[in-house]
Amino acid sequence: MDEVFKALADASRRALLDRLHARNGQTLNELCDGLAMTRQAVTKHLGILEAANLVSTIRHGREKLHYLNPVPIHQIGERWIRKFERGKLAALSELKRQLEKRDE
Amino acid sequence: MNIENFKPAIVYTIYIAATPERVWQALTTAEFSRQYFSGFAIEADLKVGGAFIARAPDGAEHIRGEVIECDPPKKLTVTWNVNWPALVEKLGPTLVTYEIEQAGDAVKLTMLQSHDRPISDDILSGGRAGWPAILSSLKSVLETGHAPAITKAPPERMLAALRELGITTP
Repeated sequence: MDEVFKALADASRRALLDRLHARNGQTLNELCDGLAMTRQAVTKHLGILEAANLVSTIRHGREKLHYLNPVPIHQIGERWIRKFERGKLAALSELKRQLEKRDE
Repeated sequence: MNIENFKPAIVYTIYIAATPERVWQALTTAEFSRQYFSGFAIEADLKVGGAFIARAPDGAEHIRGEVIECDPPKKLTVTWNVNWPALVEKLGPTLVTYEIEQAGDAVKLTMLQSHDRPISDDILSGGRAGWPAILSSLKSVLETGHAPAITKAPPERMLAALRELGITTP
């Protein structure tokens, strides 16, 4: 899970994920097209995203295609977001209680 | 059907602490699938040309397809056709492929959903919403013996897009 957060903590890598979100299943050439990043940099970032399992790659004919893999993000949601929500709700309840007490 | 004409629209990967044989069993038997796939029973006749069915808890056939490639415990490709009237006629067949690879002590499971024609984002939203939940639950079942109850209705935008094509949805 550390790898997922590290991979996401970089604007260039998030931009690559955004490009795959807009159009899934792109080749390296397509992903590089119109980006202000060298091909080497894109390759390196894709490697980090793939190691974090945020990008899946497959061979399709002679091409290597890249796909956005949201499964680890779903798992983070399952594991954490609900707990954070519970905390927030508890804080809001406490705030309400304090404010209403002052009105007494 | 020539599967060379199909291009993956969705590719999802998950790592599971289990053996390839257990992952294969989980993907192909009702005993497991009921636990991670909203109560649906997978009934697969595991040979090329065999039937592949996902049966809803009420007994109805939600998905009926055919086994296209079968190489236990490494690769399974099936046609994954949802039994909604006119769906296959309008969208063509859907292929689902599972690839299972050993990755150290874990197994890398890759799921590919492929089509022989472009499919709109609205319609793909169904798979995009559903598969991460199914794969995460599958992982939980294999690693911990039980899955969290995830309730997921089909995305409204997918249902609207299907209705627009004249496909009857529940």
